[in-house]
Amino acid sequence: MSQSETDARPDSDEVKSAAAATTSDESGPSYLTVTKTFSSWAFTLDHKRIGLMYLIGVLFMFLLGGVFALLVRTELFSPLAMITPLFADTAEAQADLYNKWFTTHGAIMVFLVIIPGVPAALGNFILPLLLGAKDVAFPRLNLGSFYLWVIGAIFFVYVLFSGGIDTGWTFYTPYSAESGTAVIPALIGVFILGFSSIFTGLNFIVTIHKMRPKGMTWFKMPLFLWATYSTAVIQVLATPVLGITLLLLILERSLGIGIFDPRNGGDPVLFQHFFWFYSHPAVYIMIVPPMGVVSELIATHSHKRIFGYTYIAFSSVAIAIFSFLVWGHHMFTSGQSTTMSIIFSGITFSVGIPSAIKVFNWLATMYKGAIVLNTAMLYGISFIFLFTIGGLTGLFLGVLSIDTHLHDTYFVVAHFHYVMMGSGLVGFIGGLHHWWPKITGKMYDEFLGRIGCILVFIGFNLTFIPQFVMGSLGMPRRYYTYADKFEVYHQLSTVGSYVMAAGFFLTAYYLIQSLISGKKAPMNPWGGNSLEWHTPSPPPLENFHTVPVATDPYDYEGLEYDPATGNYDTKRTG
Amino acid sequence: MIQVPILLADSEPSFWLPAPVSNFAGPIDGDFYFVYWVSIFFLVLITLLLGYFMWKFRTPPGAHAQSHKDHHIVLEVVWTGIPIILSVMMFWYGYRGYVDMTVPPNESISIVAEAQKWAWNFSYASNGASIPGMSDDFNVVRAQVRAGEINAEQAEAAEAKILEKAGLHVPMGVPIDVTVMAADVLHALFIPAFRVKKDCVPGRTGKLWFIATEPGIFDLFCAEYCGQGHSWMHSKVVVHETVEEYEKWLEVAGSYDETLPFDENGKIVWKRRGCISCHSIDGSKKVGPSWDGMFGSTRKFTTTGTPGEAMADEAYIQESIRFPMKKIAEGYPPQMPVVKLTDKELLWVTEYIKSLSQNSGGTESPRKEN
Ligand code: HEM
Ligand SMILES: [Cu+2]
Repeated sequence: MSQSETDARPDSDEVKSAAAATTSDESGPSYLTVTKTFSSWAFTLDHKRIGLMYLIGVLFMFLLGGVFALLVRTELFSPLAMITPLFADTAEAQADLYNKWFTTHGAIMVFLVIIPGVPAALGNFILPLLLGAKDVAFPRLNLGSFYLWVIGAIFFVYVLFSGGIDTGWTFYTPYSAESGTAVIPALIGVFILGFSSIFTGLNFIVTIHKMRPKGMTWFKMPLFLWATYSTAVIQVLATPVLGITLLLLILERSLGIGIFDPRNGGDPVLFQHFFWFYSHPAVYIMIVPPMGVVSELIATHSHKRIFGYTYIAFSSVAIAIFSFLVWGHHMFTSGQSTTMSIIFSGITFSVGIPSAIKVFNWLATMYKGAIVLNTAMLYGISFIFLFTIGGLTGLFLGVLSIDTHLHDTYFVVAHFHYVMMGSGLVGFIGGLHHWWPKITGKMYDEFLGRIGCILVFIGFNLTFIPQFVMGSLGMPRRYYTYADKFEVYHQLSTVGSYVMAAGFFLTAYYLIQSLISGKKAPMNPWGGNSLEWHTPSPPPLENFHTVPVATDPYDYEGLEYDPATGNYDTKRTG
Repeated sequence: MIQVPILLADSEPSFWLPAPVSNFAGPIDGDFYFVYWVSIFFLVLITLLLGYFMWKFRTPPGAHAQSHKDHHIVLEVVWTGIPIILSVMMFWYGYRGYVDMTVPPNESISIVAEAQKWAWNFSYASNGASIPGMSDDFNVVRAQVRAGEINAEQAEAAEAKILEKAGLHVPMGVPIDVTVMAADVLHALFIPAFRVKKDCVPGRTGKLWFIATEPGIFDLFCAEYCGQGHSWMHSKVVVHETVEEYEKWLEVAGSYDETLPFDENGKIVWKRRGCISCHSIDGSKKVGPSWDGMFGSTRKFTTTGTPGEAMADEAYIQESIRFPMKKIAEGYPPQMPVVKLTDKELLWVTEYIKSLSQNSGGTESPRKEN
């Protein structure tokens, strides 16, 4: 594939008509309205349309994964059977059903929501805009990546209708080799999603290398680009390992090749090594892009230069590198050699340091800023708080002696929800609010927005703080029923999940409402200075009417707020 | 390095941790609280700064920042350096604790813990006694408590009764060396009160050891997901106050009452050795075929891929137990583990299966009732 593909759009009619429109009217048709046929969406090569389709898909899958989360939490409200009896008669069948629910929840959230969330949905939309480019380097590959995601999602839906899967999202052998559920279709789904992720990563690497505008050196890039770049490297290097592992597991199940199943002479611990060799880096695929989002949110809404730019940039790179070297911390009790556990534990702490550096630099960015506490910023602040808890509790788990006690308990469940949901997803939702006016051209209700954010924040903490406590008290994870002494913690947690759900439904409500009756968004509603704020909301098909020159993304002094339009206008100073 | 952590450990059950009753609980809790207080310090610091900045520097849209200072090398060094130092300390404490946990002392009591779907079995090296976990019986008691049929005191008595011939029993103050194994899929032996955990990996053996420091009865869980019965695969650890008491228990518990009829002992084998978790005696289908009416019936099976048929006589049944993978009953997954029964156990359980074809019946154990 060559670079010239960027310009070789088959839908060149579209381009012409768009170009014609813009010459006549400054704010001519946007990428949303320039063509209206179904095929102009289904076969579009425009990164914004692909990003938007990804966004809709990801949000829909978030709803589906969320329904399973609520089923799981409702079931756990009591150690007695709560809602499984509605669907199954015997105690055994009810337990099976619960196991399918938590597996489906986890697999959907990880593979279909959080991994593609920021990079593929938001990143696709925003990355070329940040670069002042017309599109990503390989638009066709981009569309291919989206369709692979769709096919992966279809496999998941198929799994749901063909009886579900009960292995947990980790697919540990030998259980996954013998479980009677639809394991193979799910593995194929994840395999395909892996390629979707690799394609996005490849595209971003090339785009960032090749398509930066004049004047934008590496250290003048917005930090979001550093984050997506580091992530893309992980996606390209780690995901193939997952793919091969899943293929081997498929062969193990279908042909009994004896690599992971001890009954055929295989080694189940080998599977864990392979799985985490991908899946630990993958947790950084889930968190580094949202960190990039938060760097943009905090700087923009504080209207202050980002503090410690180089430190934040390098910490993303450091995380990407170290993330390949710590997978064994998921296996401290598996029987891997003691020496290996010690080495993995040591390196694990090296991942915590760059995370801490980021948090402190964000705080310093807020100091003496002009902080506008709108919805996007509230999500950014929630992120800092929740990520702090997520990172700090990671330290407990990295300490060998403590992890012996905490491994496979609810403490781990709470830890990874703080980082994957409290940080990863909250960062994604924050970014969604930040770029919503740019994507849709509409402003949403800020009042409801803040209420929604606060509900999510309170609900989230109420859901997961009790899980830390019951976990360290000894409650194992993936339990359908549990000892009575843990009941009160589960009840708090379930109530919390309802509060959080209320927050998300409210969010869905006002976002949809904004599409129908929202105020028209100005070009630059928040006072950002990266390039996406220098083009209309929503942008025209070719992104910019005139080829933009690189700005200093964190210089906010040249912008003046106009209360009448709600826009930050560029000051023309001498 | 200085051993601060141990000073931080509680000696009672606390908000965060269960009662510490092994030699490892103190040090591990100390490590836990060290990380905990460091975390609380940073969480409070960060939260206060966040809250203060949010409040102090909040403005309506349109204002400009008061300063654009965007780097400060001393700050960067400080907030990189302090976490590094604290991390090294945490790593070091954890490493020390972990290494202690990997090497059992020589003069310890050896017990083998075998996990299978979904039952525990503990074999005692000193007399070969094989004692079941009896998850199902504990589940029955719990169900009765929740249904209000018995009160807490009666439940305690019922559990004590079960524990006469079940559970992991150890004496206080003596190192116990537990070898863990799994017959089918991954499991993990987890005793929260002792702060120990080890994965049971099929095809491998694992080790954990501890010294119990207080007498009592404590939870034992399966911590690694193993399918349908994962959450009801639990048992108890009983810590006896003296070695004599423990040995007395072991002698009684490890023996069958040979004066009982064969089929009655067979029923005990069914429960003790975990057959119960996959084979019902009332005709209901579980992972494996029910034993109800099995004896004397015609069985369809496949053997290395070819279908076959046979009458379930004594030879058939004993072969199925000794070599479960040889003939796979039609309609069931090839999942039965090899459970090593003694000759007598095999005889008794065969008699028991036989008896089930004469008069059907028996009770199912409720797990999570509706
Ligand atoms: C300060 C940084 C972090 C440290 C030191 C850390 C440490 C750990 C350790 C040691 C475990 C294994 C616990 C166990 O299974 O016993 C773990 C589990 C996990 N962590 Fe982290 N972590 C950190 C940050 C993150 C981040 C940023 C993410 C994701 C966005 C994340 C996601 C996860 C997940 C998904 C699991 C467990 C998955 C499972 O077993 O299903 N962690 N973490
Ligand atoms: Cu990890």
